[in-house]
Amino acid sequence: MSKTERRAVITGVGAVSAIGVGVSALLDGLAAGRSAVRPIKSFEARTFPTRVAGEVPVVETNAGFVKDTLGALLRPGEAEAWERAGLLRDRKVCFGLAAAAEAWRGAGCGEGERAASLSIGLGLEQAFLEDFAAALDGATLCIGPGGHAGGEGVRFRSRVDLCAELLRDVLGLSGRIASHVSACAAGGMAVAHAAALVTRGAADVVLAGATDSMVNPLGVGGMSRLGAPSPRAEPDACRPFDKKRDGLAIGEGAAMFVVEEEARARARGARPLARIAGWATTQDAYRATAPRPDGARAQAAMERAVRRANLTPEDIGYVNAHGTGTPLNDAAEAKAIRALLGPVPVSSIKGAVGHLMAAAGAIELAACLLPFTRDLLPGTAHCTEPDPECPIAVIGPEPLPARVDHVLSNSFGFGGQNVSVILGRVA
Amino acid sequence: MRLGDRTGIDVVATYALGAHGMGARGLSARAHEATLPPPGPIDVPPPARPADAKQRKLMSRAAWMGALAMRGALAEAGWDAGREELGAYFGVGASGAEMGELAALLGASVEAGSLSLDRCGREGLDAVNPLFAFQIMNNFTLCHGAILEGVAGPNATFFSRGAGTVTALEEACVALAEGTCDRAIVGGADTALHPITLAELEREGLLGEGLQPAEGAAVLALARTSPSALGRVEHVQVLSVPRQRGARSSEPAALREIAARAIGEALAERSCDVAVLAPWGHRAREALLAIESERVRAPVVVDATAALGEALAATPALAWVLALDLLADGGKSRALVVSAGPDGDVGVVVLARGGGA
Repeated sequence: MSKTERRAVITGVGAVSAIGVGVSALLDGLAAGRSAVRPIKSFEARTFPTRVAGEVPVVETNAGFVKDTLGALLRPGEAEAWERAGLLRDRKVCFGLAAAAEAWRGAGCGEGERAASLSIGLGLEQAFLEDFAAALDGATLCIGPGGHAGGEGVRFRSRVDLCAELLRDVLGLSGRIASHVSACAAGGMAVAHAAALVTRGAADVVLAGATDSMVNPLGVGGMSRLGAPSPRAEPDACRPFDKKRDGLAIGEGAAMFVVEEEARARARGARPLARIAGWATTQDAYRATAPRPDGARAQAAMERAVRRANLTPEDIGYVNAHGTGTPLNDAAEAKAIRALLGPVPVSSIKGAVGHLMAAAGAIELAACLLPFTRDLLPGTAHCTEPDPECPIAVIGPEPLPARVDHVLSNSFGFGGQNVSVILGRVA
Repeated sequence: MRLGDRTGIDVVATYALGAHGMGARGLSARAHEATLPPPGPIDVPPPARPADAKQRKLMSRAAWMGALAMRGALAEAGWDAGREELGAYFGVGASGAEMGELAALLGASVEAGSLSLDRCGREGLDAVNPLFAFQIMNNFTLCHGAILEGVAGPNATFFSRGAGTVTALEEACVALAEGTCDRAIVGGADTALHPITLAELEREGLLGEGLQPAEGAAVLALARTSPSALGRVEHVQVLSVPRQRGARSSEPAALREIAARAIGEALAERSCDVAVLAPWGHRAREALLAIESERVRAPVVVDATAALGEALAATPALAWVLALDLLADGGKSRALVVSAGPDGDVGVVVLARGGGA
């Protein structure tokens, strides 16, 4: 088989979101039109400007959570050792492990897949303010080499690629690792990279996806200072494409996929869930603080993804929008979608699960399996009064029954990195 | 990824900030003459343009270094037009929050020596720059430069403790070879001198093992074809090195075995007259030096991290610039660059001298 004929398919998926742990929880919840943004429980946020989030219903990530989700993949005492070393304090590490284990098992991976590569989107390091506080001497933070490196259990921050490292160990992966750090575009970029590696013959199997959590004091506080979250501490804080939208809801979680070459997958009896048909990236190169208002570079990403998939815009049956619920993003994205794809049905799941930041693109690609598995297009939670400034065919809060063959998912990162990924139905 | 002698990707220009200073050339001469200062902080000019000054307030030190290297490479390449379709691929490091901002946040959030979340929410958050988050997002090491320079084509940012920057080069070469873009910039920028990073290096035992923390940035301007190329990327590959479950790094023997295989595939019977090694830590250094002397035996061998220090995500890119400089200065034809980081992977790049060198 020549390289040009290689096709990348998804054979396993795992997800952790505010709706619950497991991809079934996510898809069942979206199919039921559920929304899971609620008051933050994992830390005391009552004085913070932002007090609601799409928080995974796990108050503390610890050895117990990891053992429940990874099971026999762990060695005796391993999870406890990670907990003692402080590695599980970063919630995204635990979510990434859980989603990867589910995807790995779901795809029926075993010894034959250990050579898999890993392409993972990761959020920025979690800083532990409580550790920093102990190093404060007057107005100076005494952190550095020698005696200022922190004592037992003090980490200051988790390392960006910690989850990738633990995944390599737990699953025994021998392939290469690529850690994508492209903010909110990271998940989409990681999956696109996986598909690229498979189609060009650089890998046969890639574990791909993303994990992130900014539901912590510095994450929530930093985003609040930017003015990105909705100021309303209500379950409907995020209302993508709604006339009254006023900001995003911070979310957390992970989605991971086993991406592999289609012929290989079928030969080993794995069932493809979807084909990764096209992808493309662009940058806005506009401002650090805002997306490009005309949506031109977002449109370019979508257009190139369609071209890469050898499709026409008319072939796209559904768009899972980045749809953050911020006034600027949604207006710019709507312009781009309308210009390229016209009246295609569009929705955003961020009203339901929040904005998973680096993992947003990954969880939204998991949501994009709903059209293929249940002939349902996810709804847009809390969009009850579509904004005429966003003149696209937004699906309301309830999912829309429809059979489509190709779906397109957008992810646009802080800083201006854009990615569009197209999934196709497989026979 | 073997790009081939004829179909290799052209290097149109380079630019680096490092121990040698700031510029397109001069690194090899200083390294060769052993006149580089000891690894440590480098002189990074403050913003001179109003737009830079405004943007700098939102940038980490690494992001500013990256932006300067990007600007320098674009200027050296003479790429003033068509930047909207220019690709950009970077290896980037950890977040680089200003310690003063963190101290201000904590100073307004501590009660009786401990963090008070109540106080943090009430007063602490208001003590920091509202755009503080933009200083700490890893991808902004690329994005700030892209915004300032109008670079808007295909792109990726990889977290790098060595191999991620080589992955950035590979993806840039693929994008060029496949026609996703005709021109691209690729590189890395990072500092190991940030206090929190230094604390981490200490805790991981790497400072104790002799790692010399440094900082820098380097960018290559690449094109599918160029009539006046400085050089050519003939091969780029990242290979995973096996290691024991739970081990912090791979065993030197495993690193040697993988590096030997990678070098064999990379050179494929071709001669190589320059070898630039970029090992992270003394165990990787011993392994790479051993395999070079066994398998390559290049007339010119330079240990880039010994000369420049360990600039983390920037190190492989600085090594490429050094290698291209060595080719141009010394009339050599082909350089092998091998980097190895504690992330467990080895990066191998083969660079050939171009007609414009």
